[in-house]
Amino acid sequence: MDSVFYSRFERHDHAEGLKGLATHYCAGCGHGIVHKFLADAIEEFGIQDRTIAVSPVGCAVFLYYYLDVGNTQAAHGRAPAVALGHKVANPEAMVISYQGDGDLASIGLAEIMQATQLGLPLTFIFINNAIYGMTGGQMAPTTLPEQKTTTTPEGRSRFTGTPLRMAEIVAQMDAPVYVERVALFDNKQRHRARQAIKKAVRLQMENRGLAFVEVLSECPIHWHLTPIEAERWVKEQMLPYFPLGVKKDTSADVEPWFTLGAPVFEPGAVAAAIGATEEPAEHFGTAFPSHLDPHDVAIKFAGAGGDGAQTIALLTTRAAIHEGWDATYIPSYGPESRGGTSYADVHVAAAEVLSPAAPAPHVLVAFNGQSLEKFGPQVQPGGIVLYDSAVIAKLPALAPGVRATGLPFTQIARDLGAARVKNIVALGALQAATRLFPAESFLASLRETLQSQCALLPLNEEAFAWGARAFRETIAPAPT
Amino acid sequence: MTTTQKKVRPKPFLLPQLCKACGRCIEACPKHCIEFGTDIDPATGLTPVVVHEELCNGCALCYDACPEPYGLMARTGELDAIDMVVSDPYSAFGAREREAPSAAALPDRRVPLPKREPMILKGNYAAAVGALLAGCRHFFGYPITPSTEGAELMANVLPRLNGVFLQAVSEVATVNMMYGCGGAGTRCMTFTSSPGFSLMLEGISYMIGAEVPGVFVNVMRGGPGLGNIAPEQGDIKLVCRGLGHGNTHALVLAPANPQEMLDLTMEAFDLAFQYRNPVIIVGDGYLGQMTGRVTLPSHLTAPGMPSWAVCGDREHRRNLMTSIWLVEQDLERHNEHLNAKYARMAREQQRAECVECDDAEWLLVACNTPSRMARGAVAALRQRGLKVGLFRPISLWPFPIDALRPLLARVRGLVVVEAGAGQLEDEVRLALSHAGVAPPPVEHVRRHGGVLPSEQEIVDRLVALEEASHG
Repeated sequence: MDSVFYSRFERHDHAEGLKGLATHYCAGCGHGIVHKFLADAIEEFGIQDRTIAVSPVGCAVFLYYYLDVGNTQAAHGRAPAVALGHKVANPEAMVISYQGDGDLASIGLAEIMQATQLGLPLTFIFINNAIYGMTGGQMAPTTLPEQKTTTTPEGRSRFTGTPLRMAEIVAQMDAPVYVERVALFDNKQRHRARQAIKKAVRLQMENRGLAFVEVLSECPIHWHLTPIEAERWVKEQMLPYFPLGVKKDTSADVEPWFTLGAPVFEPGAVAAAIGATEEPAEHFGTAFPSHLDPHDVAIKFAGAGGDGAQTIALLTTRAAIHEGWDATYIPSYGPESRGGTSYADVHVAAAEVLSPAAPAPHVLVAFNGQSLEKFGPQVQPGGIVLYDSAVIAKLPALAPGVRATGLPFTQIARDLGAARVKNIVALGALQAATRLFPAESFLASLRETLQSQCALLPLNEEAFAWGARAFRETIAPAPT
Repeated sequence: MTTTQKKVRPKPFLLPQLCKACGRCIEACPKHCIEFGTDIDPATGLTPVVVHEELCNGCALCYDACPEPYGLMARTGELDAIDMVVSDPYSAFGAREREAPSAAALPDRRVPLPKREPMILKGNYAAAVGALLAGCRHFFGYPITPSTEGAELMANVLPRLNGVFLQAVSEVATVNMMYGCGGAGTRCMTFTSSPGFSLMLEGISYMIGAEVPGVFVNVMRGGPGLGNIAPEQGDIKLVCRGLGHGNTHALVLAPANPQEMLDLTMEAFDLAFQYRNPVIIVGDGYLGQMTGRVTLPSHLTAPGMPSWAVCGDREHRRNLMTSIWLVEQDLERHNEHLNAKYARMAREQQRAECVECDDAEWLLVACNTPSRMARGAVAALRQRGLKVGLFRPISLWPFPIDALRPLLARVRGLVVVEAGAGQLEDEVRLALSHAGVAPPPVEHVRRHGGVLPSEQEIVDRLVALEEASHG
């Protein structure tokens, strides 16, 4: 006998007794009918080998007992995320995500919303029986008003909300190409359900997009009805809240679209993609700047977000590493993207940077009064402070021997026509004031960083030169 | 028209012991030829329906009404011979051999990487580069400071390598995407930070239960609650003792610089597949954000495909990814299998670095960024004549007790240095206890909330301990 069902349900309690051929579902449950429709669609399209079924948590948790396809069992509510993981790993796989109402419409709302928003070609089967079956008849998000469940013993009230209409919600999203609600309560509805499931599978095969089929299904046991009464209950009680029919179908208008090339592992391509280069970096100095510290120089850059402290910290670090020293840079900034505090600690060590923080720096570059106020007093005795005198009027008390120089970084940058290069002005001043590395070393690091924005290079080089000149002229003013 | 051309439609067939007597077929039959039976089936205790074939016109509507896969179906020639009261249903349907063959594992390939200059990378970037070199082409994640640069690099680079970057709706979705993708035998990862890692724990438990590999880089930040975005080591208890519900463990590796962020993340993928288990890289906010020099390895990995994958082809069709073992004895057996695996990891994957430990009388124990401060303190204290060493666990689980144990004979005390309230110290104490070692005094230097222990604090503490021990 040809079937996509396992010929023997070995996973069903080791196929003990009759379990090898019988489902675990209660008499009259709709799940088995949907399983059969799904199996027939897979069979008809000849996709058994490449189908992956994602079983949910809920009564259909054991879908993998039955369907002879690749199977994955997901955590409660997460089948859509698991299905996405499968689909992007193997775009050729036909991934079918099968969920009940508690799983899809309660705990897993976020996951189904994201999956349907993305709209990758996937098949979603949603069984709505207005109740939690497996846990024993509790209220579901789709439970009807007045419906009694074990957690709405007096009937679902206004306080516990009204039924969630998932097919309509999903149909409102842009991405899904086909959304239909079907039922199982008579021959006609079953025929429609069979066709809908078939179509939902076909649309994935054709790579057209996401299909979502909501099936109104019977739970006679927890509705306390006979299977025949349960069919009638769907028709008479559920239909008024859950109207049947196609909610959305743009499948005829969309072209097949979802493809992924084979992942690339070719070493040259990988090295290029991560930006690794064969070109050794230029270096210009020979000696470690031991006039600042014999082993490890600590520099702090501080300002407001947007001042560019992070950029020059990174440029300094790159220059240091190119010069052959070990260096680290750690940023620290407030939660704001712009305008909050923003400071950076840089270490340059002859051998190895140990602590990357700079609680007592040798050098401080400060862009505003607050930063100078906070970090100025931490600068080591004999250290160097550079600050933006266009912004900062007052100098705090500093440790003995600290040489503080105010330069109008912002003004110089404005005069150059771009206030934003004030950080590069400061970097030029830093080079001149500390002789950390030769100017060429900083400029090489600048060129490397701006290689994709060459147009900005002249301005930045000019800013650097002006900063260095401003420092030299302040310390030893040019003869007038 | 002649009667000989009339198509004979098959009539329904039902093995009574497979009928649950729901009666949906009775409603479905327009000819009313099915009715509730009255005879109790001895195999099920139910009263199966009875089909009156003489009234049936073979319309087939009852098949779709029957919820059982092997319930009502068309009587084929083959089935005609079957005795309807057969006691062995398998003889009716035949013990069809599963057609799907067993898959052979396709091995990973190590491909030489041409020599490249060292790179200057932030720790998060370095870990992402490590993942790319390990052959990871699938990333799932949710932005969270201070880990996000890792995700950003992947978003930038993966499309160029035909990889997939998928920003999930939450960390909960992230880990479940990894469950699906890893279950497909594919290398995948995420970057996250403490609150996000908390959200992933349920999924990690599922991954461990179902033996799904995947790599998590947790760049720890200050807590509890929202805490802040500064470096802390407050998730050590989670990664070592609290990976979701149930009997769970995973390899936990703790880098201390951008180079190790790359190297350990790269290796984590091999380990994840070697043991079929998630691997956790724990960094701290400083490590994620710290820029430094990074040397690239001599090879990269082009991943193969394991035999157990659920990847949607014929060879792998029989595979199942699940953490369900409904029968108690089955789950016990599965846990014993996991325990054996954990024991193997504990034996094979202990890693530590010892700095100046050979003659040490005091041992600092620290990992991640605090180990760098501790290293500075060792140098400073040695200059003052104190015999201090640093024991740096690189694997936090398993704790590298085998490397620590031989050092303890001459040690006067351990000083655990951490950016947290004692979670690393708990691991040290637990490891000593399990090893049956009478521990030397265990002291500590701790800072919290994103403040890291400074070199000076460590030096001061050791000087005080040394003085007290002589006093």
